[in-house]
Amino acid sequence: MIKEFLKIAAKSLRTRPMRSWLTMIGVVIGVFLIISLMSLSEGIKGAMMSQLRMMGKDLIMVFPGEINDFATTFGGGLELSEDDIKAVKKAEGVESIVPMNYKAETVRHQGKVKTVLINGVSLEDGLDVLENDFGWNLEQGRWPSLGKKEAVVGNAVPSEIFSGMKPGDEINVNGKKFRVSGILKSVGNKQDDSTITVDLDMFKDITGERKGAKMLIAKAEAGYDTERVVENIKGELFETRKRVRGQDSPSFSVLSSEKVTGIVDNILGIIQIAIIGFASIAIIVGGIGIMNTMYTSVHERIKEIGIMKAVGAKNKAITTIFLIESGFFGLFGGLGGIILGLVAAKGAELAIRATGSMYLKASITPQLVIFGLIFSFLVGCIAGYLPSRSAAKMSPVEALRYE
Amino acid sequence: MAEDILRLEDIWKIYEFGQTSLAVLKGISFSVDKGSFVAIMGPSGSGKSTLLHMIGALDTPTKGKVYIAGKDISRYSEDELAGIRGKNIGFVFQQFNLFPNLTAQENVILPMVFQKSPEKERVKRARELLFSLGLEDRIHHRPAELSGGEKQRIAIARALANDPEIIVADEPTGNLDSETGKKIMEVLRTLNKEEGKTLILVTHDPNIAKLAEKTIHIKDGKIQ
Repeated sequence: MIKEFLKIAAKSLRTRPMRSWLTMIGVVIGVFLIISLMSLSEGIKGAMMSQLRMMGKDLIMVFPGEINDFATTFGGGLELSEDDIKAVKKAEGVESIVPMNYKAETVRHQGKVKTVLINGVSLEDGLDVLENDFGWNLEQGRWPSLGKKEAVVGNAVPSEIFSGMKPGDEINVNGKKFRVSGILKSVGNKQDDSTITVDLDMFKDITGERKGAKMLIAKAEAGYDTERVVENIKGELFETRKRVRGQDSPSFSVLSSEKVTGIVDNILGIIQIAIIGFASIAIIVGGIGIMNTMYTSVHERIKEIGIMKAVGAKNKAITTIFLIESGFFGLFGGLGGIILGLVAAKGAELAIRATGSMYLKASITPQLVIFGLIFSFLVGCIAGYLPSRSAAKMSPVEALRYE
Repeated sequence: MAEDILRLEDIWKIYEFGQTSLAVLKGISFSVDKGSFVAIMGPSGSGKSTLLHMIGALDTPTKGKVYIAGKDISRYSEDELAGIRGKNIGFVFQQFNLFPNLTAQENVILPMVFQKSPEKERVKRARELLFSLGLEDRIHHRPAELSGGEKQRIAIARALANDPEIIVADEPTGNLDSETGKKIMEVLRTLNKEEGKTLILVTHDPNIAKLAEKTIHIKDGKIQ
């Protein structure tokens, strides 16, 4: 029975090809938006989360400034003082701390001059954390020897900034000569791959900044609850600031790696919900298009409905015939949207990779495709429901009489 | 006495328009024997179309009873009526009322689809019917490619699809030239005579009414 109904629906769609195509395009656009934006945002989320998850669960980050004020924290030049660092170090449950610093400096290599972000990390305390928790591994060469003017460079430095750079090369950072001791494997994002890392002492030597740090990472001692240690650090910092500077409004943020992951996850989740919301509006508009077409189609076929009823069609059969037609719009519009959306997402992935700002991989999962198909089919059916019902409810006598 | 396939008992059809009401059928009673040929005649506005709707189970009376094949259908639901129309009644219309998108064979198959008969049987039956009506070359043609007589023969094949006892024909020759109309009437009479189908036919044409065993004249909603 369904087979015959499919045939009837297909024939009626083909009778008015222009209208059928236009209706379908309405759905295509909505599904296209959902699929492309979802797969890209899932890809971004996946890339960011996998980086964050590399960090050990016992890591605690300490930033100056409030975390809910990103501009002052990361752009406002706030720093943690030597006193702050000492306070963190002596907090209960802190095993070790790694002060980190960064500053953009001009770097010269074989006559080329570029501005590169220099990281200053205390390698004595922090090498372990960098390797185990941040996933920094050497591709070539070795780590800098302590006390020597040596640097490791990120993966993108020899490939894109100073092409052909190799271990043993000499570079000139802000007028000071360094030797490249090693090249890191990619850590998965372009920003970090484009930096040069030196020991904190050398960093102070280069920049002239003797004290403090932009941020620091503390590692909780085994057996301590990380969140507990976070509270301890906050307490110590609060005490210190009050005593030393007379401040009683603490302007720092202490976050466990799990918290940071959670915050990023939340933010990305909200962005995704917003994306779905906007794309859904497009689909709803597509659905209204289907409804409009279906009402027109029902109106044009009043006589046919009357004939079908006269030759024994029950209401359910009439409803089914029209629902199949609107489901068709939904399903095939959805199929078109999925194909276009996947092509667009893949294209965006390649384009972003070519510009090199991020290692983005569009997340194209079977779930997303199935979701897209089912969703668009449902939109078709829902949009077709009222028109189909109005068709089924027609009185056969009046429908037959209609000219 | 032959058993009646159709019996109407004091049929009233009253349409309400707000305050006023209009009685289109005013207490019509008659019965039709199984296998007989009955003509219904009457001027336009006499209520004969409404009467045909009652006979064809397209509509139910305001008052009175309609028995089709022994069942009182006057209080049937929409879907129950559709079942009766599908199984017990075959319609032939003046305007042919074929589906323009479907081929001759598909048009004949459609009533069988609604009765959920198996696919193989549907195709076999449709072909048999079309062959018997001399349409073997027209099976895959669409109505627009066919002459009026051919269209009406397809419509007759469609009416016969579910092998109903009753054929209800509403001015079946009204849109045909007299020669073709004669042929269509021959087909209908053969069905009545040789296959025992009960034929109920609405017509303006006294020559056609003469062929019937019984003629019901209706005027102002009453039998004359």
